[in-house]
Amino acid sequence: MTRRAALLLGLGAATLPAWPAPFLGVALMTGVVLLLVALDWALAVPLHALTATRDGDRTVRLDGTATVTLRLANGSDRTLYAQVRDAWVPSAGARPDVPPERVLTVEPGGVAALPVRLTPTRRGDRPAAALTVRSLGPLRLAFRQRAGRPGTPAWTLRALPRFDSRRHLPEKLSKLRIIDGVQVTRGRGQGTEFDTLREYVIGDDVRSIDWRASARRADVLVRTWRPERDRRLVCVLDTGRTAAVRVGDEPRLDTAIDAALLLTALAARAGDRVDLLAADATVRATVTGSGRPALLARLVDAVAPLQPALVETDFELIAGEVLRRERQRSLVVLFTALEPGALGEGLLPVLPRLAARHRVVLAATHDPVLTGLTAGPPATPDDAYAAAAAWRALAERERVRAALSRHGVTVVDAPADRLAPAVADTYLRLKSLGQL
Amino acid sequence: MTAVPAPPRPAAAAHPRRRHRLLIPLAVAVLLIVVTLVLHAVDQPDPDDPGFLSPVATGADGGSRLAAALRGQGVPVRRETDTERALAAARTGPSTLFVPAPDLVQPAVLRDLGYLPPGSRLVLVDPSRRAVDGLDLPLLPAGRRWATRVSTPDADGRPCPLPEAGRAGAAAAERQRYAVPADSAADRCYRGGLVRVPGRTEVVVIGASDPFRNDRIDEWGNRDLATGLLGGARPVVWLDLPGPEPAPTGPSASPTPGDGDRSGRGTGDGRDPGSDGREPDRAGERPPWDNPLWDAFPAWFWALLAQLALAGLLVLLWRARRLGPPVPEPLPVTVRSAETVLGRARLYRRAGARDSAAETLRAAARDRLLPRLNLPADAAPAEVAARVAAYTGDDPDRVAELLHGAAPENDQELLALARDLDALTRTVAHPTEGDDPR
Repeated sequence: MTRRAALLLGLGAATLPAWPAPFLGVALMTGVVLLLVALDWALAVPLHALTATRDGDRTVRLDGTATVTLRLANGSDRTLYAQVRDAWVPSAGARPDVPPERVLTVEPGGVAALPVRLTPTRRGDRPAAALTVRSLGPLRLAFRQRAGRPGTPAWTLRALPRFDSRRHLPEKLSKLRIIDGVQVTRGRGQGTEFDTLREYVIGDDVRSIDWRASARRADVLVRTWRPERDRRLVCVLDTGRTAAVRVGDEPRLDTAIDAALLLTALAARAGDRVDLLAADATVRATVTGSGRPALLARLVDAVAPLQPALVETDFELIAGEVLRRERQRSLVVLFTALEPGALGEGLLPVLPRLAARHRVVLAATHDPVLTGLTAGPPATPDDAYAAAAAWRALAERERVRAALSRHGVTVVDAPADRLAPAVADTYLRLKSLGQL
Repeated sequence: MTAVPAPPRPAAAAHPRRRHRLLIPLAVAVLLIVVTLVLHAVDQPDPDDPGFLSPVATGADGGSRLAAALRGQGVPVRRETDTERALAAARTGPSTLFVPAPDLVQPAVLRDLGYLPPGSRLVLVDPSRRAVDGLDLPLLPAGRRWATRVSTPDADGRPCPLPEAGRAGAAAAERQRYAVPADSAADRCYRGGLVRVPGRTEVVVIGASDPFRNDRIDEWGNRDLATGLLGGARPVVWLDLPGPEPAPTGPSASPTPGDGDRSGRGTGDGRDPGSDGREPDRAGERPPWDNPLWDAFPAWFWALLAQLALAGLLVLLWRARRLGPPVPEPLPVTVRSAETVLGRARLYRRAGARDSAAETLRAAARDRLLPRLNLPADAAPAEVAARVAAYTGDDPDRVAELLHGAAPENDQELLALARDLDALTRTVAHPTEGDDPR
């Protein structure tokens, strides 16, 4: 039934005073309206004659807008009048170009295109939830509607992380080039490796002459050096309970992803191989650094659906995974929180094994609330207690930090907006010192 | 039409427990109310029950003990199961006509009950408004109680002129109360539970059946009240109707119902049995289910209402079908930052842990001061105080008290300590900034 059927019956009621037998009139008019409704229902396009398909964007960067088009094909030999609601999850931010109230008209055999503009409000996979088609009859008195018919074409829009720290990339790359340049002019040194032998030309550093090679040849040969390449870098994202904490206006995990992306972009440009591991109680995502050109894209795709889970992170598992995957010595960057409970009981017992094989950097987001509590003079007794609690938390962090440093772990503890450049700087410093 | 109903959706009831929490107390309350109502209805005697206030019924709501008491006083009791015969018996001379269930009497013959020989008395038990109006009594049913109340005849402060009530004293007569207009000569007792209307036939209306019932007759002054009302020199004619009286039947069908019919019967004293015949026509004309509202509006009005209701039903069917279900989505977990730190601060506050809070603050201040002043971490307290005092120009004792003193006594002292430590470390960290305020 639609509004029209009720309206028809209601308007018919106005004629009742003129009927000689009013109750007969009621029966007659109700019967006629019901008959019309039944007729209209029979004439509506059957739902099984409709097919829905989708095409459009599969991924969108967060804050961007994607368009996914739903195509509704009318396979029957009647004209389709339909209201269509294409429901997405609320966080997909779907805005259909055709509002669901509007009645579409599709000729027999025709296809209606229904674009939907999506502006996701959260990172991750945003699926299309349900398609509902209401096929109206030609009189618009009745409609056919059934859940799951036509079936909802599955579609998932992946909202990629924003990668705000992209703006730091040019500066870090220029630093990288300086390191390159310095290394090349300085010749042999820390952080360089043997590249090739070539003939001596005037102006080369005489200390670079390889006398043994020159003795085998007629020419004088010099060794050339270049910055170390093909180092290995492992980004480990902790997606456990500490990653769910909101620092600033985003979870700690998002900050860590941002920093990991900058690090990956930089390392890929420097010619290093980057692996990624995201884990809490289980392994959530892994990316291995083969296939260098599309590495960043693959990495972004892999980390996009990650969500923090309210479980304690299993550092035993993480250490085991890293040791199993990385045979060569690598730089392991662990993105987690500098929290005494989680690290003291989880990470410290397995750290010796990890630190013996790899160089470990721990990148943690500094909580600005703690700094705020300890910075100013307290105004009320509550502030004094809060300051005491904050100082105590800071002291505990300091202890954890000292314990980590004893194992040779470099700790980067920076506020959320400074974490990505700080981690990149640490990487560049280690690279220039040849400690990778 | 919407035709096919949607297949069952995944249960949207996410909070069954919350619903139960609301529904269970409500259900218990409704159950209690229903049980109470049912028990009350079962407990209350119903004038429709067979044997209700019948002189031969020995059940709880029968009247055999009252009849025996009357006979014991030498009052002849004559039981009649038919109104016409009871009227005929009562009209043989001054008598008491006892009607325990006046609502079972046909409305048409009700008025005849008031035309008895002079000196007669008519006793009605709990008559409804219809019965009161039918007898043209100057009464109005006023309030009805949930259960009968025992009261004294002059409970509401007005003297009770009925000698029977005066003799009986406190009795259970007040359930239905009757209001008497100010200008009428009627006497009222028991807060209006008992009213006597004088006239050619004295009419006594009592609002409760308790004084006459077998189960209650021995309580309070019920027996005296009942025998007083029914006894005396007159014989008692007890109208014991087994159920609603059938409409009298007879051959003489009159097309003019109503007053003419009644007046004819009212004047003719002796020919009551012959007047049965007028009833069926009236009954046929105005069946009990007939509502006068029907005729108040034309038929098309009711048809219009019916059709509008049908249209409303269609509107309901239209609005009831939604265009697809609402879409659920799991929300990401959010943990506020520094949650544990703030929680620990509140715990400190609640436990009044001023000593450990002060010690934490002092330790933190020392940790900041010592590297500044190039002191080792295990420097003696006196040395630390002396160096700090020398740096800032404060009194060494005061600095020593600040850095290694006793725990504060109250929150204000803790606040002062926290402020002083903050100022001290600030002074040492930024000497130029700290100097200005001093």
